[in-house]
Amino acid sequence: MVRKELILMVRYPVNFIASFGQIFLIVAILSLGGRTFSANLDNPPPIGAPPTSGNPSGVVIYGFILFMFLSDTLWTIGYNVRHEQVQGTLEQLYLSPASKFASLVSRVANILLWTGLLTLAASGLMVLMIGRLPVENPWLGLYLLVMSLAGTFGIGFAFAALTLRIRETAQTMANLLQFVFLILCANFFPFSALPPVLLRISRLIPLSYSVDAFRSTLMNYPPGYPELAPISVEIVIVTLFGIGMPFLGYYLYRRAEDHARRSGSLSSF
Amino acid sequence: MTATSPTLKSNLSIVLASARMRLATISRYPGQLLMDIFIPIVFAAMPILLGRATAGPDAGENFAQNTGTSNYVAYMLIGSAAFTIVTYAFWHIAYWLRWEQETGTLEALYLSPTHRVWVAGGTALYSCLRSLFSASAAFLIGSKILGVNPFEGGVGLAFLFILSGLIPIYGLALLFGALVIKVKEANALINLMQWGVSFLMGIFFPIAMFPPLLRAIALLFPPTWMTNGVRSALLGLTYFFQEWYLDLAVLWAFALIAPLLGYWVFTRAETSIRRNEGVGQF
Repeated sequence: MVRKELILMVRYPVNFIASFGQIFLIVAILSLGGRTFSANLDNPPPIGAPPTSGNPSGVVIYGFILFMFLSDTLWTIGYNVRHEQVQGTLEQLYLSPASKFASLVSRVANILLWTGLLTLAASGLMVLMIGRLPVENPWLGLYLLVMSLAGTFGIGFAFAALTLRIRETAQTMANLLQFVFLILCANFFPFSALPPVLLRISRLIPLSYSVDAFRSTLMNYPPGYPELAPISVEIVIVTLFGIGMPFLGYYLYRRAEDHARRSGSLSSF
Repeated sequence: MTATSPTLKSNLSIVLASARMRLATISRYPGQLLMDIFIPIVFAAMPILLGRATAGPDAGENFAQNTGTSNYVAYMLIGSAAFTIVTYAFWHIAYWLRWEQETGTLEALYLSPTHRVWVAGGTALYSCLRSLFSASAAFLIGSKILGVNPFEGGVGLAFLFILSGLIPIYGLALLFGALVIKVKEANALINLMQWGVSFLMGIFFPIAMFPPLLRAIALLFPPTWMTNGVRSALLGLTYFFQEWYLDLAVLWAFALIAPLLGYWVFTRAETSIRRNEGVGQF
C-alpha cells in the first residue's frame, strides 16, 4: 500500500513542484503581511541576523509546519477514503485479504514523506529569505513534533470515520475544519491575539498545546511563551494527545466502518 | 440543407443558459456558499492577528508608516476579497476545462455547433457573479466583525476598479486554462498560480516591499492594479500613477490585451491537442 501511494506520488512531478512552490508562497505572503506591522521596515535586520524574541517568522513558520501536517492529514487520510469510495475501489479493498489497518496507515507514510519533504524545503527557502530561524532545544522540539504528528494522524483517522458517515459533505467539512483549526490553534499568530472567547475554546483543544509547546521550545521560550500553560504541563498534554488520539481515531474509524458495512453504504456515494 | 451560423442572440442565450445551470448547481450547496464568505475573513484575520500580537498598541501606527493607512483591517480584507475574485477566476475557468475533460464531456462540446468561447463566457459570468457576491459579503461581514466602516472613501470608484479588473483577470484565466489542458495536472497548477498571483498583487502588503525586478513583474499583472485601485479608492492610498484615471486606463489597456492574448494562446493549445492526442484524453 505504501509503495502504491509512493508510485502515485512519483507519477505527478508537477504536483510536487507546485505544492512546494505553493507552500513557499503562502509563508512568504503571511510573513510579508506580518512585516507591514514592523516599526523598522525601512531598516530591516541584515539577512542571516539572529532573530529577536518578537520575530514573527518563528511563530509563523513553526505554526505553519504543524498546520501543513494537519491539513494534509485531513485531506490525505480523511478525504482519501471518500476518494476511494467515489472511484469505486473502497469496497474492493474490503473484499481483499489485505489488512484494513495497513490501508489506513499507508496514507500516513505518504504524508510523512511528502509533507516532510515540503516542510524541509519550504523552511530552508524561508530561512534564506527572512534570515536564520531560532532552533533551540532540538531534541525536545523533535519529541513534541513526533507526539503532535501522532495525535494529528489520530484526528485524521477520526475524520476518515466522519467521512464514511457524511460522504459528500466531507469536502466542505475538511475545508471548514482546516480553517477552524487554523484560527483556534493559532498556527500563524500568538495565542495572545485571540479574543478571550476563542482563547477559552483553544484551551480545550490538545492540538493548541502542541502548536504552543513546539514553537515555544524551538524559540527557547521567549518572554510570554508558552502562552497556554507552563511547558511541563504542555508536554504532558501533548504526550497524552500523541498516545491516545491515534487509538481513539482508529476506534472511531472501525465503528464507522462496521456501520457502513452493515448498512451497505460502503460503496454508495 | 445548409448550416447557418448561430446568431448573436442564440450565442448569448448559451452564455445565460450555461451560467444559469452553474448557479442552479451551486444553489444546492448552501454550506459551500457560506464557506465562500467565511474563508476570506479567516484568511484576512491571519495577518491582522499576527500584526496585533507583534506590534501591540502600535499596530495601526506602524502599519500606517509602511502602507500609508492605519486601517489595516480594511486593507487586509480588501486583499482577501481580491484574492477571492482572482482565485475563483482561475478555479472556475481553468478547472472547468479539466473537469469537462475528466468527465468526458469536453470532446462532446467540441462536436456541438456552439463555439466553446460562448460556453466559457457562461462559466465566466457565473464565476463573476459568485466571486463578486462572496468577496462583497466577506468584506462587509468581515468589516462588521472586526469593527471597521466598510463604506469609507469612494465606494463607486472602487467598484469601477473591480469591474475593470475582471475582464483582464478572466483573460489571464483563459491563458492559464490553455496550460491546464496541455499539462493536465490541474489542481496543483491552479493552486500554485492562485498563490503566485496573490503574492505578486500584494494581497496583504504593498508591492513597494518587493525588490525592483519583482515589483516590475508584479506591475505586469492586472490584479495588482485592481487591488491597489480599490485600496486607493477606499482608503485614500496613493495610486501607482498618482491619479485614479491613469491607473484605470492601465486596467482598460489590460482589458483589451489580456482576453485577446488568452484566446489566442488557448486556441493554439487546443489546436495542438486536437491534432495529437485529442481533447478527450486525460
